[in-house]
Amino acid sequence: MTVLSAVNGVIVLEGACPSEDAEILLQHLTSTPSARVDISICESAHTAVIQVLLAFKPRLIGTPPGNSLWRWVHPAVQASGSI
Amino acid sequence: MNDFLRQFLIESRELVIEATEGLLLLEKSPRDPERLDTVFRAFHTLKGGAGIVEFPVMEQALHSVESLLTEARAGKRTLNPALVGDCLTSLDQVSQWLDILEQTGELPLSLNGPANAGSVSPDVAATSHESAAPAAHAAQDWAAQLLGRYPGATGEVTTAFRFTPDHDCFYQGEDPIAWTTSLPQLLALEIRPERPWPAADKFNPYVCNIILTGLAGISAGEVSAHLRSLTGECEVRAVGTAEAPAAISMPEIVRKVLQEQLRVLQVKEAPGAAARIASAGRTAANAMRFCGMDAHAESLERAVQQSSARLQEAIAQLLGMPSVALARSPSPAGPARDAASLPGDSAATPRKETSVRTLRINTEQIDALVRLTGELTIAKNAVGHTAKLAQAKSDSTAGLLKDQHSVLNRLVAQLQNTVIGMRVLPLRSVFQRFPRVLREMSASLGKPIELKVEGEDTEADKTIVEMLFEPLLHIVRNAIDHGVEDADQRRARGKPAVASILLRATRDGDQVLIEVTDDGAGIDVERVRQVALDRGMASAEDLEAMADSDVIDLVFAPGFSTAAHVTEISGRGVGLDAVRAAVERVGGHVSIASRSGAGTTVSFSLPFSVMMTQVMTVEAGGQVFGIPLDAVVETVSVTKEAFSGVGEARVIVHRNRTIPIVELEGMLNASAEKSRPAEIDATVILASIAGELVGLQVDHPGERMEIILKPLDGLLSGTPGIAGTTVLGDGRVLLVLDIIGMLQ
Repeated sequence: MTVLSAVNGVIVLEGACPSEDAEILLQHLTSTPSARVDISICESAHTAVIQVLLAFKPRLIGTPPGNSLWRWVHPAVQASGSI
Repeated sequence: MNDFLRQFLIESRELVIEATEGLLLLEKSPRDPERLDTVFRAFHTLKGGAGIVEFPVMEQALHSVESLLTEARAGKRTLNPALVGDCLTSLDQVSQWLDILEQTGELPLSLNGPANAGSVSPDVAATSHESAAPAAHAAQDWAAQLLGRYPGATGEVTTAFRFTPDHDCFYQGEDPIAWTTSLPQLLALEIRPERPWPAADKFNPYVCNIILTGLAGISAGEVSAHLRSLTGECEVRAVGTAEAPAAISMPEIVRKVLQEQLRVLQVKEAPGAAARIASAGRTAANAMRFCGMDAHAESLERAVQQSSARLQEAIAQLLGMPSVALARSPSPAGPARDAASLPGDSAATPRKETSVRTLRINTEQIDALVRLTGELTIAKNAVGHTAKLAQAKSDSTAGLLKDQHSVLNRLVAQLQNTVIGMRVLPLRSVFQRFPRVLREMSASLGKPIELKVEGEDTEADKTIVEMLFEPLLHIVRNAIDHGVEDADQRRARGKPAVASILLRATRDGDQVLIEVTDDGAGIDVERVRQVALDRGMASAEDLEAMADSDVIDLVFAPGFSTAAHVTEISGRGVGLDAVRAAVERVGGHVSIASRSGAGTTVSFSLPFSVMMTQVMTVEAGGQVFGIPLDAVVETVSVTKEAFSGVGEARVIVHRNRTIPIVELEGMLNASAEKSRPAEIDATVILASIAGELVGLQVDHPGERMEIILKPLDGLLSGTPGIAGTTVLGDGRVLLVLDIIGMLQ
């Protein structure tokens, strides 16, 4: 389980998020559309997970890990249109 | 009007807007080369279009402006306000021609050319013609666009790629984003949805819906080899090298004509193939000949004689398209691994025939759809009524009918939402006309003004958006003319010399809120009181007793004008009452707030859609009437003892306010048979008429429903007191009352 939902409306992505996490993230974001997503400890995320972020465009918090994935994904999520 | 002219009209309108916006921005920052290029390109494309449709007067007019802009681009001329003014004038002229074309369906060819500024010899413009076309081409090309967004990377980029993963690629264990980000020397990567994201409840995270576009510092072959392990459509292009064939410069419309011929030639069906090739070749050659490229025209004609493939290649060369992609284009799209097997650095697999995502639809067709949806709603209500009847008779099919009705209900609701969505326009189309208006007013009154626009993406029904310009213009004119002080006065009051006008739109549930705020002197309440008294609009005592906000609201009363002197800008004899009337006609409200010395805000609150109207039904004199809910403040049950008489009139006291009562039945003469005693228990609908509460006595309140209101037409159109009609589920016609009109 790498998608954690904290009590204060923050969803934390932890470690390497496999494609299965997309469904869990989707559920969290559908039930709490205003939730923020902390990505500071997420080393990598499957395209399916990123797709959920792109579609729902939650507010990302935390400094993204300085790897090549987040370098391109972070601006894309922030610029994408939401559902 | 033929399709060609129609396309010309649509494109030219867009270009005029683009050029106008660009010019106004250029006036503020004349040294912005990118902006200048945009404006130049817009003029150039406009001119090219005029050439194609054979409209020499327009071509000539734009040619002289283009020459001026060429000089400005070369730094030989500064873009001062006078020059911008000349350019804008020429655009006005073009707009007028386009209006004539739209109205008559024909080009106003009999007109003389405008006496336009521009003394530059035609050959100066001719050189600019050549230089602008490749830039216009670049805008069309995804790779060039991508490069344009990452100017810093240009030196290192050798390859641009666009990859659309297969929708079911996740089931193959693929992770396209992670794999693409692992590409060596990745210089840029953009991730976008391939199609718009579906609604939250239909969203399936396991259907891949992204497009990846990027730039890399490695060869096209290496990029292809890397992406080979993913399934999807891949297009890889070598950039920044000599491998990409150079496009021939040509006007945009000619380019489109050629692209269209290429598309025609790529159709595989055999019947009529020879005629199609000949026709496409002839059209392409004519287009080239039109822009004076006879040599290319001839080579195209030669290619027609040879084969379809040869002609396609020749057109592709003129368009600067890579021939490798072309040669493969008739074959079905293959996965990325096929692409890499192509020799050379420029490897490309074609995209599937991209489906058209936008359609231009005649508004009449949309309106017909709105009407049909209305009819369908009525039919749906009738089914509901039938279901109720069946249930009352304990019919065995009642349950089934009820189920089907709820399905129908849901579908019709969805259809309504979709249709409403089709009629919405962003407010940008109104707001974008204001920079121009403000510029002129600012110059003519000598008051420097800055316009700020917020929320121009807010959407509203087409009817609302289209009616907004006049009222808004009126408010803006008033703000500039009467609200904003002279620069000297402003300085003396410690304000910035440049006044500001803010146009802001926001969506609030079913309402769209539009505000015009100025930072001028605000409204002088005492002067308004004085003028109202002078005009005999109210007595001195009443005016003294009125709250300041109510006094300010008097500026919307008919016949009110406080301007010390009538000016060209706002003193045209039309009062602000016209603004209020226009907004209320579409079911909106206007309010005004002002602080002396700090400025004024006028707010329009408008319905998002004019299609659906919420009504409540009431019974009076045995008949059912509809009352629009937006006029209803509340419904109260009143015992007969609560009524009291004041002279001839009857009133009730409700929440410590005395409210006059009007009997709906008597007013409509609804019942001729009986004369009902007035003093019985009754239901009173409280409505707000110009801020005053009025009670409407009815027999019974009915149900609340959402209807599509049909205005009365024919002989009955304009009947006072009737807003329109709709048909009830049982087939009866429901008259919807315009209670504000009735009670005023």
